[in-house]
Amino acid sequence: MTDPLVTVDGLEKYYYENDTLLDRLTGAEREAVRAVDGVSFEVREGETLGVVGESGCGKSTLAETLMRLREPTGGSVTFDGDPVYELSGDDMDAFRRRAQVMFQDPFSSLDPRMTAGEIITEPLAIHGVGTGAERRERAETLLEEVGLSADQIDRYPHEFSGGQRQRIGFARALAIDPEFVVLDEPVSALDVSVQAQVLNLLADMQAERDLTYLFIAHDLSVVRHISDRVAVMYLGEIVEIGPTEEIFEDPQHPYTKALLESVPRADTDERDRVVETIRGDVPSPRDPPSGCSFRTRCPELIQPPWLDAPQAAFREISEFRTRIENGDIDVDTRWEQVGDPDREDRAAFVDSLYAEAFDEDLPDDDEGTVREAIRALADGDREAAAATLRERYRSPCEAVDPALPAGEHPSACLLNEQPDDVEAAREEWEADRDAPGVGASSR
Amino acid sequence: MTDLLRVRDLSTRFFTEEGQINAVENVSFTVEAGSVLGVVGESGSGKSVTGLSLIDLVESPGRITSGEIWYNNADLAERVDGDRPEAVDGDFVDLRRLSEAERRSLRGSAFSMIFQDPMSSFNPSITVGEQIAEAAEVQRRASANPRSTRSRTQGYGLGKLLLDGVLPDRSYTSAESWDRAVELLERVGIPDPAERAEEYPHQFSGGMLQRAMIAQALAGDPDLLVADEPTTALDVTIQAQILDLLADLQETMEMSVVLITHNLGVIARVADRVSVMYAGEVVERGTLEDVFDDPVHPYTKGLLGSVPDIDRPGERLEPIAGNVPDLVDANMPDRCYFADRCPKAMTDCLTRPPEYDVSEGHRARCVLAEREYSEADAVPEGRLSGPTDDAGTPGGGSVGPGESGASDRSSETDAEVSDD
Repeated sequence: MTDPLVTVDGLEKYYYENDTLLDRLTGAEREAVRAVDGVSFEVREGETLGVVGESGCGKSTLAETLMRLREPTGGSVTFDGDPVYELSGDDMDAFRRRAQVMFQDPFSSLDPRMTAGEIITEPLAIHGVGTGAERRERAETLLEEVGLSADQIDRYPHEFSGGQRQRIGFARALAIDPEFVVLDEPVSALDVSVQAQVLNLLADMQAERDLTYLFIAHDLSVVRHISDRVAVMYLGEIVEIGPTEEIFEDPQHPYTKALLESVPRADTDERDRVVETIRGDVPSPRDPPSGCSFRTRCPELIQPPWLDAPQAAFREISEFRTRIENGDIDVDTRWEQVGDPDREDRAAFVDSLYAEAFDEDLPDDDEGTVREAIRALADGDREAAAATLRERYRSPCEAVDPALPAGEHPSACLLNEQPDDVEAAREEWEADRDAPGVGASSR
Repeated sequence: MTDLLRVRDLSTRFFTEEGQINAVENVSFTVEAGSVLGVVGESGSGKSVTGLSLIDLVESPGRITSGEIWYNNADLAERVDGDRPEAVDGDFVDLRRLSEAERRSLRGSAFSMIFQDPMSSFNPSITVGEQIAEAAEVQRRASANPRSTRSRTQGYGLGKLLLDGVLPDRSYTSAESWDRAVELLERVGIPDPAERAEEYPHQFSGGMLQRAMIAQALAGDPDLLVADEPTTALDVTIQAQILDLLADLQETMEMSVVLITHNLGVIARVADRVSVMYAGEVVERGTLEDVFDDPVHPYTKGLLGSVPDIDRPGERLEPIAGNVPDLVDANMPDRCYFADRCPKAMTDCLTRPPEYDVSEGHRARCVLAEREYSEADAVPEGRLSGPTDDAGTPGGGSVGPGESGASDRSSETDAEVSDD
């Protein structure tokens, strides 16, 4: 039960932009989109490992790369002792027989010009299993097993409903009698009543055939329902992995906590539940944040050791800092809004932007520093404004990249236990910097 | 609480080559002023068409065939009373009996709508600010001159480029409406609204664009906002942001909201009252507590039992057997539409059930509201031959929850040809 069937180690899948011959000739720098950025985990025999994350976090790319439907740019996958990316010939065929995949979209994942029987027997034909009659018989049995009837074997996909098509997709995945099935969002296109039917079917078939599942979904309730263990992905990385019960009852990573809190419950108490929503959007995987990739949205962003501001104030300052560093604030437009095209009344500019950006009461020192930065901005010196804020409000989260330690329920966050090298890097960073000055008011 | 909208026996049908589709059938409900009505149902249940019918956006071959939509607006009632006294009842006006022009003038200023997919609801070649300013401008001109309520469609592409060259100053929007657009963007929580207003839709993320669409819908300060699956295309953390925003706007602007969704959690988070739709009918309605804690209709119970509970994972889900029926008139049996999937179908169910009162304000279209289930009256096997999962009738439940707007029409295309 606890033997790993699949071991993934440091898996990376980058897509490159600006990578055409012309770009290379002109010396343009190629740009990496880090869809999967160094992921390690194992899937144990007979379990269901759920992978959750928001769109764009790389969970589907992970599944496709793991199955070698795409070639990785780094790392390795071991399936029952065999290195998947080094297999070829008969060994590769054997891997393809033992591992199967079922896709999300019931409409585009079945060939509209093949009958249900042809779809289900195709993997058998490819691997040369049985005679035509035997294959057909097997397809009929499979149809019955997934809750359809054998006399539907000659129907085309358009004659089935969405839930029925997903059953056919599942029958196709099972046809070759695999041990390991990757389920990529198998129920997210279905209505809730039909979704429950398919989830029950997946659970029944797993019990009957000792299947191992890698279950990918964005719906946390579904993942909790079906998984034994859960991995949470954010921006191409696993930020937390552990037994389902622990992930849902005792989440460690701030992202997991926020994700769980965001799910609306179908319950009459839901209205009064206070949800601390996380702000902002997922950053682009072209240009992920330095250090911890979640730090731009993290409610628990760590303050530098010399600072002791209220957490809410620190977050507002950090968000304001991000806006300045990204150049989101257009100084010209601001001046226009202040109604001072000659740019003489700097105090009015500072007051207007400060009032807009800060709801919290900042401690006096911090208000001074922020206003100093805005003054620099008013003069058009964005670099100086950013530097002023950076000096005082740098967080260890942006300098030190947290890692996912080994263990039963690790979390990739500096607030939790980290491997020695990460702890050492953090100490070094903190020792490296003396407490900076306090800003204009004290100078 | 006063009622803002009273809908009575509303029916909307689509007349297609495959036959008549009863997308919405005799639907009645009330929207109270300043409250949120949640409309929940699976794809093909008619919830989106209900929303479109409310603001008169049903397109051919669809048509509202009967019913009344009473809208509470004393000013409008007074104005209409002279011409059409039959359309007025106290402060209420029956929108269905107003002229096309009058109905159109209410769109945006009285009713507004936001759609599911923000990415495809904006014109990609016009800045977000311009598109919101356009909505604001329409309202501004309408209030300045009530007779000119015509919306103007922006040209784009080569034609616009050439025309802009010849007539450089032909902007429809004014500085005033642009300022209003920036103000609206700020209201819906977009940082640096003045800068973002100049950007194009592709420069916005999905969540930001949904905020922008809400801003556009608010341009006319509507009494009622119809939100059709406003968070379905969004990630769960963004969904939480948008739901918070909607709740906040609804409260501060004293708007009423009709929230259409398939997600029971979203309903529980924001709705005051709930209508559950199935096969074009409202099968149960009442307060959130009535419907969630004390459901009567087996479909409502089944829907609640199908959702895995994130806080209390059970061993096994209890799904509803079978699929949603297609809505082709000729295929619809003359009995309770849910009977063939219902675990408690009785001989009573072989006739069409009326809406029963369960308690004050809580109604269900099911005989179980009146009497207990008894084995003795169970429907004998074989009496209900209908679309079940194994029988494999096409069409019905085959549309994903993503495609609500078109779902009723797309189910026509794979529906079997009817005989009439």
